[in-house]
Amino acid sequence: MINLTALLASFTAPITIKTDPWAMLYMFPLLAAIALIYKATKMRVIFWKRFVRETLVLFASVSAFMIAAIIVINLISWLITS
Amino acid sequence: MNESDHLTPDQGIRLIIVGLAAWVIPGAGHWLIRERKRAVIIFITITSLFAAGLFIGSIGVIDQVGARIHYIGQMLFSPVTGILGKIAQNGEYASYGRPCDVGQIYTVIAGLLNLLCVLSAVYMAYCGFGEKIGSDEDETGKPVTEGETND
Repeated sequence: MINLTALLASFTAPITIKTDPWAMLYMFPLLAAIALIYKATKMRVIFWKRFVRETLVLFASVSAFMIAAIIVINLISWLITS
Repeated sequence: MNESDHLTPDQGIRLIIVGLAAWVIPGAGHWLIRERKRAVIIFITITSLFAAGLFIGSIGVIDQVGARIHYIGQMLFSPVTGILGKIAQNGEYASYGRPCDVGQIYTVIAGLLNLLCVLSAVYMAYCGFGEKIGSDEDETGKPVTEGETND
């Protein structure tokens, strides 16, 4: 059984996030939420299969763009500082 | 709504109720206009995102004084944010650094996505979306197939 007090207590102290490249992974839940809500508001009729497919395509597209942007910005930063 | 652009008082009140419901409980606006699938998706997604933000940065990320701009975005999620803000106001749940940043971004994005959903619910109520297509049916009551939809 889930301890309710412990569950609520977990919302009273921040977790630890290191300053490393893995911290970038926190963007993916955001991108997934944006893709889900965008498709939920845009599709005229929600069919589960089609909704999941289109959401995945949008999520993959936005993720790919973000990763490309990260690579380009890092390259520019590396060129300037090297 | 179809014959005239003018809203009757009843229609106006209905739109206000849909908008308010969508703000108070994410997805409730769509639920009211019988867009049940959308409502469930919106509720689960936005509430999970907001809860994830609070889990990452603690309820200290809701700061009415030190982060007023973020607070406005967070308030778009639900009036519940105001209650959480009051609880966090005593300073016992301070949050700093990267967890605070990530938590604030998550909660503010949840609020902004809810604003999008509020506008979507009100627009759909205005257009009679829920009445028109109901649960995957066209105007005649015939089930709509995937090929017939136009997103």
